[in-house]
Amino acid sequence: MLTLGWIAGLLRHRAARLAAIAGGITIAVALLASLGVFLATAKATMTQRSVQRVPVDWQVEVQPGADLSAVQAAVRADPHVVTALAVGYATSTRLSSTVDGTTLTTGTAQVLGLPDGYAGAYPGELRGLSGAPSGVLLAQQTAANLHAAPGTQVVIGRTGLPDATVTVAGIVDLPAIDTLFQKVGAPVGAQPQAPPDNVLLLPAATWHQVFDPLAGQRPDLVRTQLHTRIRHDLPADPAAAYTQVSSSANHLAVTLAGAGLVGDNLGKVLADARSDARYADILFLFLGLPGAVVAALLTAAVTASGATRRRREQALLRARGAAPRHLLRLAAAEAVVVGGGGAVLGLAIAAAIARFGFGTPIWSGVGAGWAVVAGLAGLLVAALTVLVPAYRDLSQTTVAGARRIVGAQRRSPAWLRYGLDGWLLLGAAAMLWITGRNGYQLVLAPEGVPTISVNYWAFLGPALLWAGGALLAWRLSALLLTRARRLTSWTLRPVAGTLSGTVAATLSRGYRQASRTVVFIALAAAFAASTSIFAATYRHQAEIDAQLTNGADVTLTVPASQAGTVRAVPGVRSAEPVQHRFAYVGPDLQDMYGIRADQIAGHVALQDSYFSGGTAQQLLRRLAGRPDAVLVSAETVKDFQLTPGDLLRLRLPDARTGTTITVPFHYAGIVHEFPTAPTDSFLVANAAYLSQQLGDNAPVTLLVSTNGASPSTVAGRLRDRLGSATRITDIESARRIVGSSLSAVDLSTLTGVELGFALALTAATAGLLLALGFAERRRTFALAAALGARPRQLASLVWAEVAMVGVAGLLLGGVLGAVLSKTLVTILTGVFDPPPDRLAVPWPYLAAVTALGVACLAAAGAATTVAARRPPVTVLRDL
Amino acid sequence: MSEDLVHAVELSRTYGQGRTAVVAVHSVSCAVGPTDRVALTGRSGSGKSTLLHLLAGLDRPTGGTLDWPALGGSPSGRPGLIGLVFQGPSLLPPLDAAENVALPLLLAGGEVAESRRRALAALAEAGVADLAGKLPEELSGGQAQRVAVARVLASSPRLILADEPTAQLDAAHRDEVVRLLLAAADALGAGLVIATHDTRVADQLPSRWIMDDGRIRERLPC
Repeated sequence: MLTLGWIAGLLRHRAARLAAIAGGITIAVALLASLGVFLATAKATMTQRSVQRVPVDWQVEVQPGADLSAVQAAVRADPHVVTALAVGYATSTRLSSTVDGTTLTTGTAQVLGLPDGYAGAYPGELRGLSGAPSGVLLAQQTAANLHAAPGTQVVIGRTGLPDATVTVAGIVDLPAIDTLFQKVGAPVGAQPQAPPDNVLLLPAATWHQVFDPLAGQRPDLVRTQLHTRIRHDLPADPAAAYTQVSSSANHLAVTLAGAGLVGDNLGKVLADARSDARYADILFLFLGLPGAVVAALLTAAVTASGATRRRREQALLRARGAAPRHLLRLAAAEAVVVGGGGAVLGLAIAAAIARFGFGTPIWSGVGAGWAVVAGLAGLLVAALTVLVPAYRDLSQTTVAGARRIVGAQRRSPAWLRYGLDGWLLLGAAAMLWITGRNGYQLVLAPEGVPTISVNYWAFLGPALLWAGGALLAWRLSALLLTRARRLTSWTLRPVAGTLSGTVAATLSRGYRQASRTVVFIALAAAFAASTSIFAATYRHQAEIDAQLTNGADVTLTVPASQAGTVRAVPGVRSAEPVQHRFAYVGPDLQDMYGIRADQIAGHVALQDSYFSGGTAQQLLRRLAGRPDAVLVSAETVKDFQLTPGDLLRLRLPDARTGTTITVPFHYAGIVHEFPTAPTDSFLVANAAYLSQQLGDNAPVTLLVSTNGASPSTVAGRLRDRLGSATRITDIESARRIVGSSLSAVDLSTLTGVELGFALALTAATAGLLLALGFAERRRTFALAAALGARPRQLASLVWAEVAMVGVAGLLLGGVLGAVLSKTLVTILTGVFDPPPDRLAVPWPYLAAVTALGVACLAAAGAATTVAARRPPVTVLRDL
Repeated sequence: MSEDLVHAVELSRTYGQGRTAVVAVHSVSCAVGPTDRVALTGRSGSGKSTLLHLLAGLDRPTGGTLDWPALGGSPSGRPGLIGLVFQGPSLLPPLDAAENVALPLLLAGGEVAESRRRALAALAEAGVADLAGKLPEELSGGQAQRVAVARVLASSPRLILADEPTAQLDAAHRDEVVRLLLAAADALGAGLVIATHDTRVADQLPSRWIMDDGRIRERLPC
């Protein structure tokens, strides 16, 4: 009964304070729950998208001498397999066509035999560009090489047999050509094979007519694969899905007992996704957890701001005979009310965010677990912030001591005296250094290994930085308010006039409360700044990634003679030609790009991070300075122990004769990334030199910059002008591919939610703590009013404090946020592809956060000013 | 009449409305001049503090008229005209003794250095110069009340109103505080009204107004 009465009294008379405590818990619970649901949803999406990205889940290659029908039966009997279609692979000596009296011939080609219904069963494998969707199909690049179109006759060269002739029915793109022609059964970590330059697709019956005779004579040139789709009822977590799929693949391989090798395409994609999933976990910890912790600390601070009053109330109850257990029961009831209320409200907000932000009900699947965890965390925060201080007060404070109005805490806290902030920051620097030595490799997911290694030590650096930064902000604030009182007084003079000294004295004596408010404003501002800067940098890099993937706004491969036609298309600002060839570096075949080193930077955005040993401008200047200069990958430099100026003799195909010739180059620098280049090793050289050495009739890739027109619109115009056989891609499509490939985690929704919470947190800390601090000092204002203070003078006391605390908090928060942003971006290098040159600062958002913080400070100040106008006698009597 | 520092006619103060209304001061007429030394006595709840607050201009009457002829009108928002000593802790907790004493002077527009000089002088006059740098929490009840008297002295008010200034003090401190208030009133030529339920305090003043149920029942010259 006493408990119920006490709670009813609290709700009647301390409703604002209880609401403030519950509000802090609400933010913490809502943030944790919504981020948890996001994380669970994101992981499930990663798995789904991985599945969608793979046209053929498994490619089972029938081994020489094995019985195809037996292997087919075994594969189809596997409980995981849904579809298995036999695809023939054959190597042709050449393809040729005669167009307008001119015969064009390619080098070796791969000819596939596709069974009926293949395109329907694996729609991601073929993309029709022109002509019929089935029948004899020619790959786009091959069609370009042969100047072939639907209706063109193509001659197929067969080793030791007469040529065969087919008529092209359609031109297709092969989006997954890398996996389609992968070497099945290659050892883990083996370099990927370059896809064939020339590909022809035949109906299975035709293929058998053409290549069955060859299989008898040269079985090494003919093989069969079973392209397989498996059941997709996989676990939501990519790591668990990977384990399930790879185990199933291994099981099938064992069942086949050497008759067939399994190329696990789905497993490989899921292996990448599980790394992304771990990065999502890390992002959650780095970006989300600090916000929840700040919200919990805010709750503690709100509770602590009423500590004096609570101690006095406890003292009164104890003086009237209440036993400590009674008081603890009352505190526990209060904790349940604020914790329960805050948790329910927080979960309601999280449910709304989950429903309307992520499109997922919070109580479905793994989200429910997060909701429960977040709710319990809310109750824990309530217990820690309400119950524990009450218990501490009971065990450490006497009745007489509790009745004192202001605690005489003259001595600095122990952590301040022992320089804990400095030690924490030193620790953070040390941890960052140690993490940096490993190249900021936070997640290690070796191919073929089911376990993922996460470097949890890396979390310590930012955690220590947060803690050290907060304590340093406290120290600086306390120093400013206590040791630099004259400076404070002088600074506040424009606001408080002759009362500036009084305000400075008030702040100095109450420096703990003021410093606490400063620190919380700083932490909330730092959370907002670090989250938003990280998100902006991520978006910026995603854009660069799309640029890298696509090369430019629009990219197309055409004969060099068509560059003028492209430049004349409306919307095209410039079209920079880049030659694409191949070169043998030792035994490795690498892509080689021929560029106009003195001009390319004016048309294509090249980041400094693409190169090593200098800026992009410096490396390009070095390349332009010597015709036979070449930029190579860091791996090549390491493998061949290269030093600048070294002679490199590379073997390249001569476009004029089709033979491979040796061309001398000189090593000039390291290149990591380049528009349209693959992620592994490649070379960049001067286009003029390559043309001089190898002929200039190779097709060029044109990197097109638009004049502000939509890239997809310009791409459409180019398709109209050049025909559908020309491969044209635009950055808008590339952005969608990069975003859905989950080579990095899609942060857009996460950052949206986080930025919203950062705003709420900044508003809450800025306004709430200040308002509560003022509420605690109503007696001071009432006494000042009773002594004759005019409303204007009372207002100046309030506004001077608001200005001091607000400016100090926002400034310190800005600095801490900048340092944290830099640290987070550095540590989370693995999330970025490519790593950023510099931070992207979202000034409009930061201005909005600052404006909101200032508005909340102003609201707190205005509310206090209005409250200070109450007749002092009324206030003093109420108190 | 023109010499009156404060002049009240049929003064009333009612809190609340309707059936829950509480009449704290009921039709009180009184005046205080510069030479008056009045003990306002009565039981707890008799309306002493409310009347004192009305006379100080800290509260607004709900009936009657109230004027401060010798002060040129309401003292509200005009620091220094009336010196107040409150019941219980009346010093601002975050300010030390000297800053507390100087505050009314600063609120009245005084310069910082001059206000501090006068504050230190007033503390010395009240015999507590050594407490200038102490915070209120470091002072005993008697010391705090003497600092509060020094605050009154520093601002040289025309009227001193003290609400139970000795309520929490022992006999020695009680007499010391009353002596200080009387000396201050004499030195400043100010009127003095002390609300108290302690007859030993009231006995030290020449006049006594006895309040009961919101009314002044008796006015006794001692």
